[in-house]
Amino acid sequence: MSKLTLKTEGDTHVIVTRRFAASPDAVYRAHTDPKLVQQWLLGPEGWTMPVCINEPRPGGKIRYEWTHVKGGGFYLTGEYLELEPYSRIVHVERMHLPDPTPDNHVETRFDADGTGTLMTIRMTLPDVETRAAMLATGMERGMEASYVRLEGMI
Amino acid sequence: MELAEPFEMTQPAISQHLKVLEDAGLIVRRIEGTRRPRRLAHAGIEAMDQWLAMLRKALEKNYDRLDAVLAGMEKNRKGDKP
Repeated sequence: MSKLTLKTEGDTHVIVTRRFAASPDAVYRAHTDPKLVQQWLLGPEGWTMPVCINEPRPGGKIRYEWTHVKGGGFYLTGEYLELEPYSRIVHVERMHLPDPTPDNHVETRFDADGTGTLMTIRMTLPDVETRAAMLATGMERGMEASYVRLEGMI
Repeated sequence: MELAEPFEMTQPAISQHLKVLEDAGLIVRRIEGTRRPRRLAHAGIEAMDQWLAMLRKALEKNYDRLDAVLAGMEKNRKGDKP
């Protein structure tokens, strides 16, 4: 059973929902306490987050740096815009690959759901043209990596 | 012209929408005399689907780990009680 839902809304929104067997208070803290964030915000297997800066106050900075066991890495920076403790967070973030991706505006809600929490994330991505440019850059990178591999083979 | 027919929009408005989709790499346009047939650009659509699939995978992994972190927090909290 997949507990996560992910759907697009209009041209620029992505909505994600996920239920947790813990109070909104705990889920909120797991998103704003760097010691906790470092333990789970790691994406696919093989990544660690040696640097985790998280200042949960309006204007506070976010900086996550990831490294892969086989070398290489990237980082994310962001700023908090609004925080309503234990129920809502609004922030912006961008990846540095190392060129920065356009800003992703993220609203995260933590609603009590029985004895647990329903978390709803609403991402607002850049307009369709910027997003396409972003995807095109990603594709170029992917192709470049394939060409490098190909060169290694011939 | 044909693409504008089902919509209550003027031809220039439809052209504007199509231009945005074309610039975004989601559709491609051919020129056939005075006609401008469009088709979906598979590469563009696929890139978007791929990105969403990647995002979903990363989030699923993250939140499965978060389940464990939350279970640990709950245990600690109980452990703190005298």
